[in-house]
Amino acid sequence: MDVIIEQYFDVSLMIDEFDPVLDGFVQTILLSIFGGVLSLLWGLVLAVLRQLPGRAFAPVRAITIAYIDAFRGIPLLLVLLLISGSFGALALEGVIPRAIGIPTFLGKPDPFWYGVMGLTITYGAYMAEVYRAGIEAIPNGQMEAARSLGMSHGQAMRYVIVPQAVRTVIPPLLNDFIALMKDTSLVSVLGFVEVVQAGRDVQSEFFNSSALTLGALFFLVFTIPLARLVDRLISGQQARFQRAQAGPA
Amino acid sequence: MLELHGVHKRFGELHVLRGIDLAVARGSVFCVIGPSGSGKSTLLRCINLLEAPDEGRILLEGTEITGKGSRDGIDFVRRRVGIVFQQFNLFPQRTVLGNVSLAQEKVLDRPADEARAKAESLLRRVGLGDKIDEYPERLSGGQQQRVAIARALAMEPHVMLFDEVTSALDPELIKEVLDVMRELADEGMTMVVVTHEMGFAREVGSQVVFMDEGVVVEQGPPQEVLERPRNERTQRFLGLVLEH
Repeated sequence: MDVIIEQYFDVSLMIDEFDPVLDGFVQTILLSIFGGVLSLLWGLVLAVLRQLPGRAFAPVRAITIAYIDAFRGIPLLLVLLLISGSFGALALEGVIPRAIGIPTFLGKPDPFWYGVMGLTITYGAYMAEVYRAGIEAIPNGQMEAARSLGMSHGQAMRYVIVPQAVRTVIPPLLNDFIALMKDTSLVSVLGFVEVVQAGRDVQSEFFNSSALTLGALFFLVFTIPLARLVDRLISGQQARFQRAQAGPA
Repeated sequence: MLELHGVHKRFGELHVLRGIDLAVARGSVFCVIGPSGSGKSTLLRCINLLEAPDEGRILLEGTEITGKGSRDGIDFVRRRVGIVFQQFNLFPQRTVLGNVSLAQEKVLDRPADEARAKAESLLRRVGLGDKIDEYPERLSGGQQQRVAIARALAMEPHVMLFDEVTSALDPELIKEVLDVMRELADEGMTMVVVTHEMGFAREVGSQVVFMDEGVVVEQGPPQEVLERPRNERTQRFLGLVLEH
């Protein structure tokens, strides 16, 4: 028992190595924010593209569906390695712009931005499916009413359908965000020091896992309240749904 | 104002409209009655192009609107034809005022304050002036339906379609909606009303159309069709409906 505590809960080591692990976690947060916001936006774009009506847009729908299937079907780790392995070379050969191939925005090194790209590309696909479920759950009558008032499909989506759909899918989107936050740890394989890598560095130096435990605790400080928030949002929605079904007062 | 010639509509194997001919004069109130599945709703939905007829022609104010698959055709129709649905279909994330002003701003490009003023005046006209900042979920069914009517009227349509608008309402809430429709008719609006409310058809309708199995079986002034129906199917339907 003492050995377990010593290996995982060595408090003095946690205190000594607190700063590097915290710095790593700040990077985790930054990756989560950039990746999260961009994938929320990209997912919405994908969902709208997937919904474009009519024969003229069939190729757009087909490509979007193929994209979503592909990136929900391969591991994020693979995507990250595909990007980091060759984007640099592609940029140097002029195939892609240097700003994308060797990105250094805001002073962050390229593995950070490869990580953001990988997270956005992959989680965008997951979020697109969440948005789609929300959009398809909106009763047809809403679109019919909007179109009957003269709105175009685009206007109906923008002012009537999507605002409703987004409200209802906030809980599953938040769940996907929590998953994304945890998956930022994969960016460590690109040589970027976020919280997991910081913990591993301490682990290999001291043969002790306490810094990793500390990292885990940092995660829980965020993920547990977020999970409770999701629960509250869901039960709030249930209550309103039941009131709406019961009919007006 | 509105003409239908030989309109057919199929949904897969189901032949819902089997040749409809109708001429709706300006200012008239056509009440369409008939059993479920007779194609009444489909008829309305063809008029505002929510459904596209498979055969036949529809003319609105002399302009043919069928066969125009392009956006222009649909715009032409939707800016002249308003529709009120059985399920209200109000936008829940907007206030009552927001519901009535949204399409004015986005489709008619009206400035926000003008749209708002028009919305307020219409809502007062349907008796909901004090509810403009409420959300639809807090209103009764009758109130929501009156908002839906105001919302359609805000677009200044030339024809108003009503698709069984009182069928989902509790009985005590039906009158307030029919009263609004009656006033609208008195003001000269051209209306096509699918309804089971025979009293309304008798008192407000200028023509009653009885539909069954996708065709117009009988048509005429309410005194004739409702009091002295000539066709046996009409008689049977009215016998069943007026029984209770």
